[in-house]
Amino acid sequence: MSLAPLAGAAPQIASLVDPGALLATGGAVDGLRTAARVLAEGIGKGAVYFTIAVGLTLVFGLMGVLNFAHGAVAMVGAYLGGLVLVLVVGANTGTLATILVFFVALALVFAVTTAAGSAMEVALIRPIYDRTPTYQILLTFGVSLIIEEVARIVLTLRGIQPNPQWQAPMGTAPDVLLGRTELFGVGVRRLYLFEVAIGALVAVAVWAFLTKTLYGLYIRAGSEDTEMVQALGIDVRQAFTVVFGVGTGLAAVGGVLLMWDPIWGPSVLLSIDVLLYAFVVVIIGGLGSFTGTLVAAGIVGIADSVTTWLFTTGIVTFPGLSEVTIFLLLVVMLIIRPQGLYGVEEVGGH
Amino acid sequence: MIVGFALYPLAYEALLATPAAPFAEAFLPAITFMVVVLYTGLFAMSFDFISGYTGYLSFGHAAFYGTGAYFVVLAANGQVPGIPGGTPFMITLLLGAVVAGLLALVIGSVSFRLTGVYFAMITLGFAQVIYELIRSWGYVSTNPTEGATVSGDALAIGVPYVDALSLDVGRLTGESVENLLGLGIDLSTTVVSYYALGIVVVGCYFAMQRILHSPFGRVMIAIRENEERARAVGYPTYRFKLAAFAISGFFGAVAGGVFAAYSRSVAPDGTFYFLVTADALITTIIGGFGTLAGPVFGTLFTQGLEDVLSTESGGVATLLREGLPANVLEADLFGVSLELFVNTAVDGRAPLYLGIIFVLFVLFVPNGILGTLRDRLGGTVGKRLPDYLRRYRR
Repeated sequence: MSLAPLAGAAPQIASLVDPGALLATGGAVDGLRTAARVLAEGIGKGAVYFTIAVGLTLVFGLMGVLNFAHGAVAMVGAYLGGLVLVLVVGANTGTLATILVFFVALALVFAVTTAAGSAMEVALIRPIYDRTPTYQILLTFGVSLIIEEVARIVLTLRGIQPNPQWQAPMGTAPDVLLGRTELFGVGVRRLYLFEVAIGALVAVAVWAFLTKTLYGLYIRAGSEDTEMVQALGIDVRQAFTVVFGVGTGLAAVGGVLLMWDPIWGPSVLLSIDVLLYAFVVVIIGGLGSFTGTLVAAGIVGIADSVTTWLFTTGIVTFPGLSEVTIFLLLVVMLIIRPQGLYGVEEVGGH
Repeated sequence: MIVGFALYPLAYEALLATPAAPFAEAFLPAITFMVVVLYTGLFAMSFDFISGYTGYLSFGHAAFYGTGAYFVVLAANGQVPGIPGGTPFMITLLLGAVVAGLLALVIGSVSFRLTGVYFAMITLGFAQVIYELIRSWGYVSTNPTEGATVSGDALAIGVPYVDALSLDVGRLTGESVENLLGLGIDLSTTVVSYYALGIVVVGCYFAMQRILHSPFGRVMIAIRENEERARAVGYPTYRFKLAAFAISGFFGAVAGGVFAAYSRSVAPDGTFYFLVTADALITTIIGGFGTLAGPVFGTLFTQGLEDVLSTESGGVATLLREGLPANVLEADLFGVSLELFVNTAVDGRAPLYLGIIFVLFVLFVPNGILGTLRDRLGGTVGKRLPDYLRRYRR
């Protein structure tokens, strides 16, 4: 079951620079079309940002733990999901079957990482709840270091280079997703539509979990007032374990989604990248707020696509524009409204 | 402690001449690693100065390290307006540190309105913005993602404009001293750099120590313990925090500056990136959060581990490869030979073991090496050790 031969599979990366953007010059209709396309891409990117950030905000909302291992779990998710697809999907597998396998991989990865996350909460985080939040940050950061290095060792042993993207899983993306589709007169990359669909699915699932299940009730109550919930006789510790597990699982789901995206792709570097972007989204939306995360992901996604468009069309010649803009959003939000768009003032003690 | 650091190179050289050389090479850090200990230790100290003593986690501390490093390199290349190319390193080092201190004032003036997780996040945000800017700023060099290099002569630590009282540093460009003071001891370029950097680091250590033991330092600790009470007593805590942050940024930039002088090149990933701060954080926790000397012990520990696990100067991997019989090396281990496993899982894999040790420290030794030692002894090591020794002598 060696993976080494697969590492050399032909890379199938969609061009990062959008040819449509370069043609968009002059004309009111063209301008409108470009705006619509940039907006659509922004929503697609926003869906990705939402998926990688929602688990982080869920965990923080109830437990007040900023999980620094979030990115590392997403990285593991991307590799595990890629592994499943590479093993199952062959050259003859149909489009529908591939997408079916994708969902199976999604469910499988979610189940595995949720269990692992719960175990981690019980074994490592539970003993230090009574310490200052700094120690929870430190602990999860240490865990993320370990996960990252173990991933590097496994990848090196299996002959897959650690740093560059592992191309094989991206090769399994069905051709349908690589094309474009006409939507309101503009060509939108189908991968973005797919990502929006997954993002919406995750959003609905998390929303249902929060509002329709008992644990969701605990979380919403617990993020308002943990002590009161405890006083009402609810075992908050058990709720913590479940929520940390689900949050970890959602991080991995985000990772699986990134696996097919040519901008990200499975790589060890995902660990830090996902973590930093998830932080931005969660802080802008308000730590612990589900609606906030949704809105903030949209804002960050659109800001990303607008600045990317500005750079690719040559209006701005500064290559780091979109990263700088995203982190500036974080800084500006913390200056003018530290609790975020929908955050509660007391959360996180600022 | 300082004496130990001063005598280490000589002891290391002496050990290499004895039959125990392979083991010494494998388990003792080489001098090149000890130089790294010096500047990363100083940076970790500056991080601890603000984070450990006022309780505000400065997650963007790499911004100051990077400022110091880039300022020195750009000034040496004559790229900083107003500073001619040949300005002595000690002056550019100081200027860079002042710039970083001012930067800390700017960042701090908005950041100190927040506390806890939010303070950590806003400083991280600032550092990331600067990191992304530097990475794409064409002025720095033609390839800004790779950073910049010093193109001119070696940079010297010492008294500016007095050649006899300054020493060039750098692994390749530094000065070597032969027959030191007629004692028959030759010092290589690395060892000379080690001592030159050591002088700067020790100076900074005493300066920070002095500040922390002054009334100003007591207010910093008061802020960590109970900021509201400190304010109620009448201290303008905002100004104290800001001043402490600026001092911390100043010394962080000095660390970056001496690093740049020694390595003669800077890259965004090695200076401004989040992981630079994370390294300082790890060493500070292992050494002892809230003890100024702790980070140095932590750095010594982590760099020692890294040296033992890397093959650059003979480490465990080399020892295993040479020491184990061939059939053991070729033994099958889940489909890969043990030799390959050693190569990948031991060689250069320090972050893994460091991560495990770090997690164990957070769980079981939250005060770090020095903090726990002080708790056990009931005071600082220097004050309590004589008592303990006296007890055992009886």
